[in-house]
This record gives sequence, structure tokens and C-alpha cells, in this order.
Amino acid sequence: MGTVHARSLDPLPMHGPELGVQADDIESAHIEPEPNQEVLENKDVVVQRVHIDGLGRTKEDLLTYEIADVFRAKNLIDVMRKSHAARQKLLRLGIFRKVEVVIDTSRGADALPNGLDVTFEVTELRRLTGSYSTMVGNNEGSMVMGLKLPNVFGRAEKLTCQFSYGTKETSYGVSFFKPQPGNFERNLTFNAYKVTGQFPWSSLRETDRGISAELSFPLWKTSQTLKWEGVWRELGCLARTASFAIREESGHSLKSSLSHSMSIDTRNSSILPRKGGLLKIHQELAGYTGGDASFLKEDFEIQLNKSLFWDSVLSASLWGGLLLPIGERATSIADRFYLGGPTSIRGFSMYSMGPQSEGDYLGGEAYWAGGLHLYTPLPFRPGKGGFGDLFRTHFFLNAGNLCNLNYGEGPQAHLKKLAECIRWSYGLGVLLRLGNIARLELNYCIPMGVQSGDRICDGVQFGAGIRFL
Amino acid sequence: MSLATEAFMSQIAAAEPWPENATLYQPLREDQILLSDCASSLAVQAFLRMCGLPVQVVCRANAEYMSPSGKIPFIHVGNQVVSELGPIVQFTKAKGHSLSAGLDDVQRAEMKAYMELVNNMLLTAELYVQWCDDATATEISRPRYSSPYSWPLNNILAFQKQWEVRRKMNAIGWGGKTLEKVYEDVSQCFQALSQRLGTQTYFFAKQPTELDALVFGHLFTILTTRLTNNELAERIKSYSNLLSFCRRIEQTYFEGKHS
Repeated sequence: MGTVHARSLDPLPMHGPELGVQADDIESAHIEPEPNQEVLENKDVVVQRVHIDGLGRTKEDLLTYEIADVFRAKNLIDVMRKSHAARQKLLRLGIFRKVEVVIDTSRGADALPNGLDVTFEVTELRRLTGSYSTMVGNNEGSMVMGLKLPNVFGRAEKLTCQFSYGTKETSYGVSFFKPQPGNFERNLTFNAYKVTGQFPWSSLRETDRGISAELSFPLWKTSQTLKWEGVWRELGCLARTASFAIREESGHSLKSSLSHSMSIDTRNSSILPRKGGLLKIHQELAGYTGGDASFLKEDFEIQLNKSLFWDSVLSASLWGGLLLPIGERATSIADRFYLGGPTSIRGFSMYSMGPQSEGDYLGGEAYWAGGLHLYTPLPFRPGKGGFGDLFRTHFFLNAGNLCNLNYGEGPQAHLKKLAECIRWSYGLGVLLRLGNIARLELNYCIPMGVQSGDRICDGVQFGAGIRFL
Repeated sequence: MSLATEAFMSQIAAAEPWPENATLYQPLREDQILLSDCASSLAVQAFLRMCGLPVQVVCRANAEYMSPSGKIPFIHVGNQVVSELGPIVQFTKAKGHSLSAGLDDVQRAEMKAYMELVNNMLLTAELYVQWCDDATATEISRPRYSSPYSWPLNNILAFQKQWEVRRKMNAIGWGGKTLEKVYEDVSQCFQALSQRLGTQTYFFAKQPTELDALVFGHLFTILTTRLTNNELAERIKSYSNLLSFCRRIEQTYFEGKHS
């Protein structure tokens, strides 16, 4: 009886830097039928045993959920397919560096003639891994040092510590991640952090110290997140020359909020997608669980992408949000929305539109922003099939508005207020994709509908970020 | 804005006359303000009233954090923000209002020395009693200081403040002092002030100066604030000229005008 050696069914890329796995040199299964071999392909088989070799600290009960399906296989192809699926699931846990599958006929006293043994040969990740990287956020760069303890307690829990030293802020955080065994998408995350940020457009410095607990789970086609967050926020003036309106916001506040977010993402990539759409809804209720900030905040994001002729993509997006204060107390500057800048309405300076006082932008309680993009490959397509594919040119049209609402006027008046004095801009530019997380843009922008007090960036504007309108 | 333009701007602002809408910010009067902050705020109010400059007192829970120096009180005049008595005296002087203009150099030096005495002795003693005496800190200072905040931020901020003051006390050598020793030191300070005042109306004859405002702020607040024990107030009461000094300033500058 021969041995069937199947490492994998088909060459699927093992994506995700989280897993730290390089795509193996995956061979497609090859079965060479020899005359004296019994061809198992279409025969019923029974998976008698599943071994997992190479386990150290990982608890076996966690893995039984992931590999249970293999026992249900009825024929060889099925065994291979299910073993491959199990392999994928094991890798996704983020606790193994390598997983190999060996399928063999059963041996031993109780071996059935059509019995198979499946062996997963795994290599666990190290107990402690360190990382060092640079990060590009919204118009800011930072150096990130991290410590990761994957699989701390043996059930795919992950403890992450991060310290980031940035051009504008220094922050650190500890996070503990715990998935439900057998249902990796359903997981709990606990966070404790301190983040300091400087916001020169508001002459504001903010230090947040907080803890949060987060539950994520899939529901139908959506992914849902429920979160409680308690944050101690300390606001202060960035300079003595800060306006008095900012000075009045200084001091300490405690926000305790419950939030829910939902997203459906059918895009093929989060940066420069070619097709698919995204819908994100986020709502936050603060004040009912303690703290001294109370408000209801609603926020949404829609993006639709459509491939057109000659590899060009038409993309439309719409953002909107509303912040309703609850009770007497006015909303804090830290909770309000900001708009403008190379990642939202291009042609305006970063977060420099809407309500302001002596040149310091105070943010608004309602906003909307829409964008229409036509992405095309570079003209004459230099570097096609290689480096050149990281670049795109785009033509854009952005519009939006940010304002405060005087509650009591009714929804009609609110809509009217958001529809008047619309800021908009158009232009074109080149953009560069950085990995699958960030992008850089160099645009020539023509801002229109500028209101008094808005700060514009007429002409060439550079932008870097992870979330773009 | 560069330093030069900032200095230039403040000179421009100083040349402007005193506006009607000048505002003084202090913590919440009923629930939050502590003895030392109340004294400093009252001293500035007395000084401005002596100058005849109108100021509206506004209570804000975050007054301490609004202040550019982190100290109470501060005034908002035009687009300028100035905190604490010393800088406020300088600021009003630049606008042409001064109480000590008639003094000669010797008197001015003497005035500054007594002001330093009050700041180093009375203000420090008030801070000591508030934050280093456990009974006062537990019963009065911490609950009042943290009253605008919700749990657990109230405890965090109160202990943070207490720790900060205690560290300062250790740095200036007050950390090892007993409460009794602090009362002794304060008595000596009262005695020095009482001797300097003698039978005069104000410290420098007929006209009030910023020293009078400062002494009034502290003495009046100590006399009228209820603490866990009345030891500080009792010690003032043995100096009758200080008592009548307080009553005089109160009647001249606060009664009548206030209502």
C-alpha cells in the first residue's frame, strides 16, 4: 500500500503579516497511480486518527475545534480538502509559524483497510517576539516598538505591548486578545493605553488614558463590534497664544461610552480597491455608564468602487456624522468632528474648516463629505507589471460641510444648514500604494466654496494616510 | 507667533485702556475652591478694586487648567490672559494703574519684602494645612477639590494634587514640620505684619498698596473659612489691628459696591 503525501491542495497565498507566515513552496497534490497501488480516489475512506505533532504550550482542546471537520471526510479528495481547510484555520489562529499536513494509511492493530491517519506537523511561534517598525498615520510618522506574546495561555490568546514615539505624539498601550475556541472571528479584546496628541489646527494638546473592552463577532455578512471605553482626557493649550475658546476647554474629563460599530466590506483591497463596496456605521453613547461627557454620536462611511475601461476604477464615497449632546453640558472639543485636509476634502488645510475662534478650529457637531474619484494607471504605463503598478493617477471631486447645529430648529433647518455654504474642491494627482495599509498622494487641488475662516491649500498638496475620502 | 511679535503684541495690548468686560476666573465658589486659592483670588479682587478697575468674577470648575501658569486666579482682559497677583500688578502698571507709584525706593523694597513674607509663609502654611494635615485633606481639601469630577477621576486628581503639594513641601523643607510648628511660624508672620501696620490705616500710611490687597486676601479668607479646626483664625484674633484692618478694607472696597 503506497503513501499519499499531500502537503496542500492548491497553492493559496497565506496572506496576513499577523500570522508571520511565508507562503510555503506549495506543491499541488500529485498522486502517481502505480499498478500495485490501490486507488483511493473515489473510494470511501475513514479518517481514523488525527495527530498534531510539535505542540508545546498550545492546549489540545483548542485545536480539536479547528480539525474536527477532517473526521467527517468521506473520500480521499474530501480528506485533502478538509485537511487543507483545517491547515488554513490553524494558521489563522496566529500561533503557528508552519503547519504541514501528512496523510497516510492507518497502521496498527485496529487499522481499517480504508482507514487514514492525518498528521499536522506544526511549529509554534516563539513565546515572545519583538518588533520594530515605522508607521504612517494621518499626516504623521512614528516609530513603533512592540512586544508580542502570541498564544500566552495556550488558547490563541495574544498579549501585545506597544510603545510608539512619533513626530507629534508618544503613546503606549497594552492589549489582550482572546478568541473563542473554534470561532476565531468571535473574540474579546481588552486594552489599556495612554495616547498624547497635538492638534496644531486647534492649538490643542490632548492626553488620553483609557481602558476598553471590545467584543467582535460576525453576524450574517457583517462584522459587528460592541465596545465599552473609559477614557480620562486631559486637554490643554498648545501655546500661550491659543484662543480663549480653547482655553475654556482645558482641563480633565472622563468619558465612559458604549459603542457599536458594524461594517460590511466586499472590496478586494482596502487601499485602491478595484471593485466592491464598504459600509461602516458607528454609534457611540456616552454618559449612561458614568463619566462627565454625555452625548450620542452617529457616524457612517459608504464607499462604492466600479472597474471601467482600461484598468480605470470609478470610486464614490460618502461620509457623515452627527453629535448630539445629552443634557445641559455642551459637547467637548475632543468629541466633535473635524473636516478638511488631504485625506478628506482636498485643497483645504488639515482639519481647517468650519467653526473657529481666533484661528483655532473648534470642530463641528454635524458633517458630511462626499468624494468622486477616477483612478487610472499612470499615463503610458511605465513599469507595468512591477513597480509601476503601485502608482495611480486620479481625478477627484470632493465636497462637504461641517457646522454646529442649533438644536430645536428641527431637522429641516439642520439639513438646510448642512446644504448651504458647501466647501468643495477638484483636481488631479498621483498616488502611491504603500503595502496594503497606507497610501501617499500628491495632488494639485483647486478649492472652491471657501468660507471666511477656512484655511486653504491652493495648488500642490501632499497627503499620507490610511483612510481617504 | 515668535517671541518678538508676542512681546510686541503684549505692548500694544498694554497700551489699550482697561475694558469694561474684564473677567477674573476662579474655581467654583460654593463647592470647589480651597482656602489658598480663595485667598489668592480675593487678593487680586481687592487689588483691582483698590485700583478702581472693574472686573467680573466668573467661577469655572476647570479654572486651574485654564490658567496659563496653572495657578488661581487669572484675568482675561481684551485678548490677554494674566495669572497671579505679581504679573497682574505688572500688567495693570503697564496700563497706567499703579498703587505703589507714590512710594520711594526704600518703601517699595520693604513692600516687596513683606509680600514675599506673606507668599512664603501664609500661602505655604495654607497649602500645608490643606494638603499635609491628614484630617483637613480627607475631610475638606480632597472632597472639595475633586467635587466637579466623577468617580474615579475625582480620586485620581485629588491624590495627584496632594502628592504634588507634598513633594513641593518636601523640596522647600516643610515636609518635616509638625502642624504645631506651622502654627507657630504663622503666628510670627502675623506678629510681624501687626507690628508693621501699627496704628496706621494701611501698611504705607493713607494709601492702599498691593501689599494691603495681598494681606487682606489671606487674612480675610482665613478668618471666614471653616476648617477642621480654627487654630489659624484664632491666632489672628489676638492681633486686633489686623482684624480692624480687614474690616476696614472690606467696608471700603467690598460692601456697598458689591450689592
